[in-house]
Amino acid sequence: MTPEAVREQRDALRRAGERLRRRPFDDTLAVLARVLDAWSDPESSYRRRLEAELPGATGFSPQTVREGLALALSEWSGDALTTLAHRELPRPVEGAATTAVILAGSIPMPSLLSIVAPLALRSPVLVKCASRDTVTPRLVARSLIDADRELGECIALLDVRGDAQSCIDALLEAECVLATGSDETIAALRERMSDPQRLVAHGHRLSLAALGPQACSAAALPGVAAALARDVALWDQLGCLSPLAVYVPRDCVVPVGDALAEALARLERVLPRGSIDARSAAAIAAERSEAELRGAAGHATRVLAGSGTSWTVVCEAVAAVRPAPLHRFLRIFPVTDAAALLETLRPYASHLAGVALAGFGAAEPDLTERLRALGASRVCAPGRLQAPPLDWRRDGHSVLASLAPAPV
Amino acid sequence: MSLDPRRAALDAQVIEWMQEPLWGDDDERFETLALALFAFQFEHCAAYRRYCEGRGRTPARVERWQDVPAVPTGAFKEVALRSFPEQRTECVFRTSGTTTRKRGELHLDTLAVYEASLLPPFCRFLLPDLTAHHPLATLLVLAPSPAEARDSSLSHMFGVAIREIGAEGSRFFVERGELELDALRKALDEAPHDAPLLLCGTAFAFVHFADALDARGERLELPPRTRIMETGGFKGRSRNLPRTDLYPLLEARLGVALERIVNQYGMTELGSQFYDSVLVDPEGPRRKLAPPWTRVRVLDPETGAEAQPGDNGALFVTDLANTGSVCAIQTTDIGRQLGEGFEVLGREPGAEERGCSIAADELLSGDGE
Repeated sequence: MTPEAVREQRDALRRAGERLRRRPFDDTLAVLARVLDAWSDPESSYRRRLEAELPGATGFSPQTVREGLALALSEWSGDALTTLAHRELPRPVEGAATTAVILAGSIPMPSLLSIVAPLALRSPVLVKCASRDTVTPRLVARSLIDADRELGECIALLDVRGDAQSCIDALLEAECVLATGSDETIAALRERMSDPQRLVAHGHRLSLAALGPQACSAAALPGVAAALARDVALWDQLGCLSPLAVYVPRDCVVPVGDALAEALARLERVLPRGSIDARSAAAIAAERSEAELRGAAGHATRVLAGSGTSWTVVCEAVAAVRPAPLHRFLRIFPVTDAAALLETLRPYASHLAGVALAGFGAAEPDLTERLRALGASRVCAPGRLQAPPLDWRRDGHSVLASLAPAPV
Repeated sequence: MSLDPRRAALDAQVIEWMQEPLWGDDDERFETLALALFAFQFEHCAAYRRYCEGRGRTPARVERWQDVPAVPTGAFKEVALRSFPEQRTECVFRTSGTTTRKRGELHLDTLAVYEASLLPPFCRFLLPDLTAHHPLATLLVLAPSPAEARDSSLSHMFGVAIREIGAEGSRFFVERGELELDALRKALDEAPHDAPLLLCGTAFAFVHFADALDARGERLELPPRTRIMETGGFKGRSRNLPRTDLYPLLEARLGVALERIVNQYGMTELGSQFYDSVLVDPEGPRRKLAPPWTRVRVLDPETGAEAQPGDNGALFVTDLANTGSVCAIQTTDIGRQLGEGFEVLGREPGAEERGCSIAADELLSGDGE
């Protein structure tokens, strides 16, 4: 693709956007609501095709894709979108003349929402697909075209490689840019944009879990561990809402580790992890060996692992910063109490997305507020991390209002 | 306290091998020494012993060098893996790293094996044109001296090389983190054209050098007998260039042909180093070649089995030069076998992550050194 072709697409989108903006705001919203209803229906042709095609494109197992979509999209209904729009946009708001949407990664829900959100403001979207997932944007575009031809004309998918500098520059001429990517990517985009352009950026994030004493009791632990293991297993721990570590009272590290290992082993049978490359597998193998060696050197470290590199639980002796190889690799860290937990998480504050929280009893509401104040945009019960509501303020951004040219 | 007699005997056998002028792959000799080293290290390094026992691999059970348990390079950050009493420590080399993360440490009780191991491959792969009559080369080093970087194994290696084979004018050109550009330019101008000239250093120092020349609008045409050896990554200390970009840049700025630029693959945790084949086999594919007292295996990290030839896998190194620590090392580098050598595979430039999760250690490791 050439920069001229990108600009031609953008000009065509501008014209399509002008036509769209002649229609009432609620009219567009109603179409998008129908589109989301279709996506939240497991029997819709789009869902079925996504479930069929995404595993081959991304390496996730079919079971994980099916289960992940079912959990995440069940509440992303048309009604939820309408409610969200009326709350965030109390009056009809026109979005930017064009919005460039830069997608990353291979998890489909952020892609779906990144395309739909600007359209809700009647801003046509120029989409740079992630190299690892061109399936989702293609099917989302198809669903829009099928729902409303005029709306379908407001989306263009670009076949631009990440390093095609001149095309990216042309893409970044859009009035608004909605981008997902690493800190490095986002910083590079920010550098290349200028006022009055608007950048809404979603950087890479991490999530964690914290279990209080009540969640670690013999009665509660199996259920909590099963729920938490699900949060880990869905999307193979690659999502920003996938917990990488669990913080528990010191005397609970071993039982929690055992329970999570059992739960992950069980899940591996029904939601097998997808394929991974040699580099990721080598990182897991090395981290396991390192943990074994720490144990051999006298640290209270245990490694529990499935066959190959399918899943790993490392019970750590101290809450130190350690690499997270992802792909279902979970560390259990001891913390003394809620105050210590907050201090431990403080260094991560600017990158914190979600915290799964349970077992803190009466202290839980206060802890939830403190975690939010620290930066967590999603605090929920174990098992719910991967099902953010449609109005989840990812990275603190409102879903729709953040895309408006002026404060709503 | 003198060196343990068993260890002294092992060191002597390993050094003897390193000093032999002819290199042949003597598998039996390698196996005998590797198993003897394993038995010694199992006995003298308590953490390693318990690690091996946890895997059911004791000297009584291990019959092949391939079954000696390998320790991951990251473990050198956590545990002092020494097979000698702590009070015998003569030198500690540390990995480069950040102030917020621990640095790996290689503890040595003697530099004899370490120094004996570094020179033969250095000369063989970088200076194959040295002869008994012309045993010296001009070594210009883009790295700090050992006096300035006492815990850098790389600086130590260059220091030994200058000491043993450096012609007049050989020296270091990085001081207090700054490249001494004028001095280096002068040394390059004055380097004799009829003798080997080796410009060696860290990859990021070469980027700085190339950028500095560019800023001055200079392009050099170094003597034909010049060769470059670069090693290491960038770690935020210069712009990050894949070697597919770095080598053409060096060729353009310095006038040194691509096939005379050699990458060294080494790490603090290893006593031995590996070099690109280009100067000794210019016709063959660029691959890393190993000295005979080492073995490099490419293993499938999922199964631990040998990867099929040509398939990617994790690099495991058994290095008999590691007499004082642990000789079997598990790296996190990915590579593949290529002929009698191997290839180290970098990350694909611009490769996107699969998800949007960030690895926790990345958050706290961005403050440079």
